[in-house]
This record gives sequence, structure tokens and C-alpha cells, in this order.
Amino acid sequence: MIASEETFRRLMTKAQAGDKLCYSSLLTECEKWLRRYYAHKINPAAIDDLVQETLISLHRKRASYDPARPFLPWLAAIGRYRWIDSLRKIYRHEHDQLYEEMAADPQDETVAAKVSLERLLDRIPPKQAEVISLVKIEGLSILEASAKTGQSESLVKVNIHRGLKKLSSMVETE
Amino acid sequence: MMSDMMINRLVEDLTPVKPLKNRNGFALTLAVAAVVAVLVALLAGVRGDLLMGMPHPMFFLRGGALLLLGLTSSYAVIAMSQPAVGNSFKGWIWALAAALLFPATAAVMAMMTRPDDMAILVARYGVECLTVSMLAGLGIAAAQVLWLRRGAPVALERAGWLVGMSSGALGAAAYGLHCPFNSIFYIGLWYSLAVALCAIAGRLLVPRLIRW
Repeated sequence: MIASEETFRRLMTKAQAGDKLCYSSLLTECEKWLRRYYAHKINPAAIDDLVQETLISLHRKRASYDPARPFLPWLAAIGRYRWIDSLRKIYRHEHDQLYEEMAADPQDETVAAKVSLERLLDRIPPKQAEVISLVKIEGLSILEASAKTGQSESLVKVNIHRGLKKLSSMVETE
Repeated sequence: MMSDMMINRLVEDLTPVKPLKNRNGFALTLAVAAVVAVLVALLAGVRGDLLMGMPHPMFFLRGGALLLLGLTSSYAVIAMSQPAVGNSFKGWIWALAAALLFPATAAVMAMMTRPDDMAILVARYGVECLTVSMLAGLGIAAAQVLWLRRGAPVALERAGWLVGMSSGALGAAAYGLHCPFNSIFYIGLWYSLAVALCAIAGRLLVPRLIRW
């Protein structure tokens, strides 16, 4: 079970004040939350790095959290920012790992839906979202994505570039 | 496990932090803008009608539009230091629409009548307006960039545009204390150019300064 919004907020507020015990619990809970958040939205080979990079960002930018506001939308904004950054870096990974099955967390479904990566991908044109999913998430080559979608190779590249640019301008969009 | 080791390292590294407060960032921007305005007034001088206590209505219209644009977009910039899915700061769009009435009016009037004041064609005045506005804006932009670097802006390009536009508008408002021209053609051309150039400079330079 993953912590609730209220628990996250309380732990973070204490962590900002320097409470190491609370911070350790917070990071452990955030790690679990982020693994679910990124599941199926990044190549499995890249998920460890992405979760770690996001936790490091959380650490470096912890003063940017306002204790008067909900925690998860803040964490999700940082998560989305690092995710897009990570998609830009990924070219092709061999698929030697299977996706882990992740059960939905019943506690925060409403919040999770609002801040999800799926929702962000739904906001860009379907052709751009499709090639980003195929090449950057599933790990297909440009050639394979071109054959699968019927888009020319150069169009696949252009759509990936435009899609990522658009995604990065919509990190805070619900 | 790798993550556990990293979490332990981060916990070891924890020091107390004071959460950023938007009002402090906004107050910093206002303070720098006020200093810049005083410097412009001291170094370049205050326009005559203002000194005599009888300012032309255009002084208030121009200054008001620039201040509204500068303040609303500055607030958006400062708020971007605290990211969250669901954030939305769009008040500046209306202020921009209002400010655009100046170049739009100038363009329409230019089509109907010959500009009444040929000063708009004298590059010396226009370049002075551009230079002072942009220099004044630079100080304000520096304060905003420093604030953003403390925070975690997630839309870097938008932040760049907004830093440029807001600092340019506040810088131009400061220059307005000195600028003696009231012509809609002059304001529509040179002031718009000053804010637009600052916005472009912001878009080009700021993202690389605030990336994290």
C-alpha cells in the first residue's frame, strides 16, 4: 500500500524542517509511488535510473514544495519533467526485461488520474503520441515504427521531436 | 539495493530548508524594479510635465499598461518556481491583450493618417528608448532568474518568454518616467519593440540558465 496524500504532505513538511527519519520514509514511499507512476511509460531498462534521477531532483528542489498545497501534484510535476528529459535521451534499448505488473492503487485514483502520464500523452496529437510510445517507450527503431504506423521515417522523427517539445510545455497541465 | 543506498545518501545529506514563498519572490521583483526606476529617474532625469505636476494622460495610460503587463507576468514567473500539475497562471494574457492595443492603435492610425510626430523616425530617440528599457529590464530579469534557479520551473521556454516580457515591460515602465514622447506612433513602435526584443532575448537565453 502506498501512502496517502496527507501522509506524503506531513512527511515532506517534516523533511523540509530537517527530520531525517521522516525524510527516509518519504523517499521510500516516493520511490514506490514513482515506480507505479512510470510503469508502462518508460522502457523497463530505464526505470531504475529515472526513479533515482527523480528522487535526486526531489532532494535538490525540496524547497520548491509549498506545504500549504497538495504534495502529489508537485511530485508529479517533477516526475513528468524528469520523464520527458529521460525520453529525450533514450534511443533504443533491447527488450530483455518484461514489464512488471503493477496493480492500481485504490487510495488515490482521482489524484493519480489527474496527474498521470497517460493524461499528458493524450493531450498531444495521436500520431505524435503513437511514435513516442513506440520508439521511446517500447523501444522500436525508427524504421520499425515507420513500418508499423505508415509514417515515413523522417515524419516519425519530426513527430517525436514535436511531441516531446509539446509535452515539455504541458508538464503542469491536468 | 541501489535505491536504498541512494536514499540513505540523500537522507544523510538532508539539511533544513525554508520553503520558497511566492510573495517573497514577487516582493524581490518589485524592489528591484523600484530601484531601477529610481536609477532611471536620477541618471536620465524625469520628464518635464511630471516634474511640473501636470502629466499628460498618455503617461498614465502607457505606464499603467506596462505595469499591468509587467506585474501579472512577473507573478506568473515567480509562481513557476513552485511546480504542480494543475497550475495555471494566465492573468498576464489579458494584460498583454490590453498592452497590444497600443501598437494596434498605432498601426490603424498610421493607415488612416500620417504620423503626427516625426520623432518616431529618428533612430536616436528610439534606440535610447530600447537601450534604457532593456538595460533596466536586465536587472529585473536577473532577479527573476535567480529566483527561478532556487525553484523548479518545469516549462523552461514559457518561463523564458515570461521573464523577458515581464522584465522588458517593467524596464520600459521605468524608462517611461523619463521619456517625453506621448505620440501613439512612438509608443506603438518603440515600446512594443523594446518589450518584444526582451521577450525574444528571454526565450533564447533564460532556459539554459534555469535548466535543472
